[in-house]
Amino acid sequence: MGKVMIQTGWWLADVVSQLLEPHERDAVRGDLAECGAGEWRALREVLGLVARRQAACWMDWRPWLAVIAIVLPIGLMLSHASRWWADDAVYTTLQYRLFDLSRLVQLGWRSDLFLPMWAAVTCGVSLAGWSWASGYVLASLSQRAVWVTVALFALVVFLGTLGTTTIVRAHSAAFAEHFFAVVFPRLIRVGLVLLPAIWGVHSYRHASLSRLTLSMSAVALLLLTVLTATFLEGSMTLGRGFFPSPLEIGADRLGATADDLRPLWPISLVMLWPTASILITTLWRRAPLSSSRS
Amino acid sequence: MILGEFEYLMLTAAARLGDEAYGAAIRQEIEDATSSPCSIGALYTTLDRLERKGLIKTWMGEPTPERGGRPKRMVRVTAKGVDAASSFYSAVRRVSRGVAWAKS
Repeated sequence: MGKVMIQTGWWLADVVSQLLEPHERDAVRGDLAECGAGEWRALREVLGLVARRQAACWMDWRPWLAVIAIVLPIGLMLSHASRWWADDAVYTTLQYRLFDLSRLVQLGWRSDLFLPMWAAVTCGVSLAGWSWASGYVLASLSQRAVWVTVALFALVVFLGTLGTTTIVRAHSAAFAEHFFAVVFPRLIRVGLVLLPAIWGVHSYRHASLSRLTLSMSAVALLLLTVLTATFLEGSMTLGRGFFPSPLEIGADRLGATADDLRPLWPISLVMLWPTASILITTLWRRAPLSSSRS
Repeated sequence: MILGEFEYLMLTAAARLGDEAYGAAIRQEIEDATSSPCSIGALYTTLDRLERKGLIKTWMGEPTPERGGRPKRMVRVTAKGVDAASSFYSAVRRVSRGVAWAKS
């Protein structure tokens, strides 16, 4: 039991020390080993240093910009989008259970089957893409405060829709089940938001993607956003009263016609800014290199 | 350049240790001299500050077995650091002249 406690203390100290720069982490762990510090003292010492380092990071304006420009707006939008996507995916999947496959010979029925599936896949990929881009820009702005801003980002994503419901929940008994009502939306947030965001942070910190890959990914994400703009707008109201997108009826006084207005269209622009930032900085970084070579 | 009291302690400890000046050794020197605990947080953030001011130079040393194979952060006081510590010490001596606790 005592050994387990000792290992736990050192393990925690090791985990916390990951927030330090690699060379400093090694020096600190070496100092603690040399002075024979106990496990809890080691943890306290490492926590103290990490707290001082983090406090110093927040003296800079960039982590604050990351919170104001990414964590709050994009985190909240991703919270809504992931919640809406999760519930809509459950609803669509349950509709397929009732689908008569023998009707697939009719073109109209094929559309009914494949279009929602295509929409779900496109929106899921967009969700992961927006999250990846957010993580990437979050890392570039936050620098050493990145894990604090990522934790705040996760908090906003998971708590952003607390106490709300979606329109499809009123139309399906499936949401009475704990898995569909609670577990599945959380899995979606972990799988399509949190993990891609962490991957984005990793991509930035390790510079693991070439400029070409970065540019191509950003362009692909821009196009995906155009394709899924109505989904994103609809997710902001969690589908209530509008589908697929919140609309204002135009001059013809008829709904779902060409002159309808989409009052939430700027939402897509807000969601696009991390992607646009990646594209611009990637292209901008290329310019001085090209000119220095010439 | 005006030093802080802790900065002065660190410069003095590092100068006393010479080639053996590194994080854990400086910390031990300060704890022995002041009979107060010195946290690793205070030590490393002050090392950074002193290095930014150009008063010390630090580099990573060789890994040693007693440190679990991890390297030391070695410290050397620069000429500017010697000047700053010397000025601080002179100021303390001047300001202490005639006061009861400075007689010994």
